[in-house]
Amino acid sequence: MTDTSMTGFAGADEQPLLDVADLRTTFHTAVGPLVAVDGVDWSLRPGARLGVVGESGSGKSVMSRSIMRLLPKSRVTSTGSVLFDGIDMMSLGRRELLDMWGPQLAMVFQDPLGSLNPVMKIGKQVGEGLRVHRDLSARAARAAALDLLEEVGIPEPHRRIDEYPHQLSGGMRQRIVIAIALACSPRLLIADEPTTALDVTVQAQILDLLETQRAERDMSLVLITHDLGVVAGRTDEVIVMYAGRIVERAPTATLFGNMRMPYTEALFRSIPKVTDDSHARLEIIGGQPPRMTDLPTGCKFAPRCKYAQELCVAEEPALIEAPAAADSNDGGARRRGTWRDDDLDDDDNDGGAPAGAHLYRCFYPVGTPEAAEAFERNVASGRVSEAGVVIRAS
Amino acid sequence: MAGSGNAHLRSDALLRAQDLVVEFPAAGGRKVYAVSGVSLDLMEGETLGLVGESGCGKSTTGRAILQLPSPTSGSVQVAGQELTELDPDAMREVRPRLQMIYQDPISSLNPRRRVRDIIAEPLFIALENVTRRTAMATWQERIGGLLQTLLERLAIPMRIVGLAASVAFALWILSEAVEERAAEPWLGWTEVPAAIIGFPALAIALAVAAVGLVLGLTWVLLALMLPFSLMSRQFGEVSAPVGIAGVVVTTGASGFMLWRTWSSFGGWAKWVNSGGLGLLTAVLVVWLAASIANPERAGASGVATTLSAMVVLQVFYVAGLDAGVKLIVLVVSIVVDTLLLRWVLRRYRANRNAARERAEPRVREVLEYVGINPDDAMDRRPWEFSGGQAQRLSIARALVSVPQVIICDEPVSSLDVSVQAQILNLLEDLKNLMGLTLVFIAHDLAVVKNVSDRVAVMYLGKLCEVSEPDAMFDEPAHPYTEMLLAAIPQPDPEAELGSGRIDGELPSPMDPPSGCRFRTRCPHAAQRCADEEPEMREIAPGRFVACHTPLIGETAPERVEIASAGRGAS
Ligand SMILES: Nc1ncnc2c1ncn2[C@@H]1O[C@H](COP(=O)(O)OP(=O)(O)OP(=O)(O)O)[C@@H](O)[C@H]1O
Ligand SMILES: Nc1ncnc2c1ncn2[C@@H]1O[C@H](COP(=O)(O)OP(=O)(O)O)[C@@H](O)[C@H]1O
Ligand code: SF4
Ligand code: SF4
Ligand SMILES: [Mg+2]
Ligand SMILES: [Mg+2]
Repeated sequence: MTDTSMTGFAGADEQPLLDVADLRTTFHTAVGPLVAVDGVDWSLRPGARLGVVGESGSGKSVMSRSIMRLLPKSRVTSTGSVLFDGIDMMSLGRRELLDMWGPQLAMVFQDPLGSLNPVMKIGKQVGEGLRVHRDLSARAARAAALDLLEEVGIPEPHRRIDEYPHQLSGGMRQRIVIAIALACSPRLLIADEPTTALDVTVQAQILDLLETQRAERDMSLVLITHDLGVVAGRTDEVIVMYAGRIVERAPTATLFGNMRMPYTEALFRSIPKVTDDSHARLEIIGGQPPRMTDLPTGCKFAPRCKYAQELCVAEEPALIEAPAAADSNDGGARRRGTWRDDDLDDDDNDGGAPAGAHLYRCFYPVGTPEAAEAFERNVASGRVSEAGVVIRAS
Repeated sequence: MAGSGNAHLRSDALLRAQDLVVEFPAAGGRKVYAVSGVSLDLMEGETLGLVGESGCGKSTTGRAILQLPSPTSGSVQVAGQELTELDPDAMREVRPRLQMIYQDPISSLNPRRRVRDIIAEPLFIALENVTRRTAMATWQERIGGLLQTLLERLAIPMRIVGLAASVAFALWILSEAVEERAAEPWLGWTEVPAAIIGFPALAIALAVAAVGLVLGLTWVLLALMLPFSLMSRQFGEVSAPVGIAGVVVTTGASGFMLWRTWSSFGGWAKWVNSGGLGLLTAVLVVWLAASIANPERAGASGVATTLSAMVVLQVFYVAGLDAGVKLIVLVVSIVVDTLLLRWVLRRYRANRNAARERAEPRVREVLEYVGINPDDAMDRRPWEFSGGQAQRLSIARALVSVPQVIICDEPVSSLDVSVQAQILNLLEDLKNLMGLTLVFIAHDLAVVKNVSDRVAVMYLGKLCEVSEPDAMFDEPAHPYTEMLLAAIPQPDPEAELGSGRIDGELPSPMDPPSGCRFRTRCPHAAQRCADEEPEMREIAPGRFVACHTPLIGETAPERVEIASAGRGAS
């Protein structure tokens, strides 16, 4: 196995399925511009699984909608490049987009009821895409829909095919939404919090379903969630977003084994775990997610970060690459705005993504002596409690 | 439990709910067996976690404890007092001692009111209702409750019909006016405008009439019951003279509207319009009266809306009069309404300010408990807060009346992980500070384990297992508990996924399986499980399980991969 096949990102040698570069989406709101996605770069190999994690409002949905070109028509601008299999999504017209949605890219949304038509029978909704894209007859589409319902694990598909969405449970509705998304065998499926509205057992079923379908169809999957637990076992690579930016990006095992970004660490620590004793004190991220129309200068996480120093407030850290795990701690990271910044490239991966690279955006990365010192200083000055909670934003 | 039995109940509990049964009527004369014999108890200062899949009856159990609505059968005792036998008045006295926190914080707080008023509200309910119990009050409360449910159920259809009716009505009046001016036969070519306006109006009106016929009967019923019961809802108990006066005023006003509209329309329009307007008038009069009498609950915008709606009604009414009279009536009524509005608002403000002043110290205190700065927050409205802050506000609201028991229904399920952690820690702190007694409902086992002193696992209206959390999570005793545990996503890429396969969905609560309700998905199900319902029993100290072959102890079956569980469940 090569590096590339283990991770979601395309290497220099392979044509990525999706290549997002410097994507920036701005809403023009009454109180000024709101940059919901701010210069995001990543790419995805065919068949790979990418997790996107962040608190609500961090720009996950806007990013995926920008890629799909599903943003509202007015008061929003989206710049940068999104290449899907070499096709520039940003330049496509409505017609061409309609041809892309379904057979090329498809999306599953958080709220299953909201994405189904309440007055159309399930079979018809599932078969609709096939009729449009494959020119199937009504009969053939129905047969295909029946197969799809079976595939996504709907019990008694013959009966369900003639039912309406409100007659199904939340879990079954989400299966229908997935069936619709899978109908034209898309090459990329973006699932935006597909299980946030569901309970644990149904969540496990839906995630399993997504995984089996992905493997069977050799589809790529972008799994968006605010729960690190969801991406842990089910993705090859994870992007952590904060305030519209990528703040950490790494192969899943590396991220969980060796997280660098204080935000990722804080997010991880705030999850209650079944393995903890009952009444174990949870570590919290103090404060609120930033107001997107009024972002702090410097590191956007600084007001809530237990390591933050003066430097963090003054200057925004760039996305840099961590030294490979083998030769770690050799004096820090190479500066690397994005892997497309040719002027910064000084070695191997010229022009391509560093396969399996670990990128983060922080001056005092977790686990380094600098971070430990910074934390000590903050505790000494009373800005942060012993438990690591920010008491007053500097 | 997935059987029944009370072996797990303790003797000196603060809250004791025994054999709760809640059934809802469903279409086709069938029944939803939402809760079927659940028994729970709660020691003072204890947190009881209630877990289970969506639709298993957790919320229904929580609400049954609070008598919202009362359970179909079973008993609920709080500090020895039986709640299911209390009449509505006595229940209202008890209510402030039992509070509830809901899943969706923002929508459970009234968006139009300020934080200070929202938080103070339970205080007023607590102060206001120390009243005599009479048969009449009970009767009023019952009809009021029924009406409230009816109105809630009909809210959306009524709104749609109402909207359509008013559009049709306006168009109708317009077209009549045009027609009048033309004073020529309908559909002469000069009357094109009238036809243009008239036809859509007719079409809409016909559609409305169809729905109107169905709703007509309901309207008549509602109109008859309305004055008394709405008033009792709004005022608490209504004394006979006040009640009769209210009925006279309301019936008079709606009767008048009825008569006016009745005489100005022909055919079906008579029925629809007079029924609708009559009812509307009755509602408006009662609401207006209620907002004058009980300004803490009404809110200034409520008063203003009511008054402006009355003005509109008057305009409609005036439309039927002669031109000269029309003008006079219109001017007089506008003057009267304006004066009335000023008077109402002034009274409202005075009352409100006095009430606010009384409540302020307590409101500040609870806001500080939940970590919200009172100076910043008091005068803002709920939607100006983030989800996590709004959940803090609902907690403050629940705390303000010093409740004995708080039922938290999925208080963190709609929150982000980071905010969720803050709220969980807050509840823990408040518990230590004030000795709160909580029922904590959630579907996330890790969350439940974190907050609970005792955990009850629920499946399809029955309890499966009741136990102390650490033991339960180390070694689940009920097959369903094991399945739930396997479903939790672990924030660890190394964790094995395969073992967590969950098959099947919750069976329909209208047609629950015989014997053990979990048997259609249980990997250990045997013939006995279909024939005989397992009883709750203590299989180890402090561990209560309702299963024929629990997973711990000498009878434990060999562990079976959850994945092999019956697929047949639908
Ligand atoms: N007013 C009602 N009329 C008819 N059925 C009802 C009513 N309220 C609840 N039910 C049914 O009772 C069962 C239990 O519902 P309940 O809301 O208590 O579930 P829950 O365990 O709280 O689920 P969730 O995790 O989704 O909140 C469900 O099958 C539900 O459909
Ligand atoms: N239609 C819109 N108009 C203005 N702002 C928006 C719109 N949609 C999203 N936003 C803002 O963009 C930011 C990112 O939102 P979103 O991508 O939905 O977050 P999430 O990470 O929870 O999916 C938020 O601050 C949100 O308020
Ligand atoms: S240490 Fe500084 S740069 Fe790093 S996350 Fe914290 S505030 Fe940002
Ligand atoms: S073993 Fe039988 S009694 Fe126990 S949970 Fe399974 S089906 Fe129910
Ligand atoms: Mg989102
Ligand atoms: Mg519920």
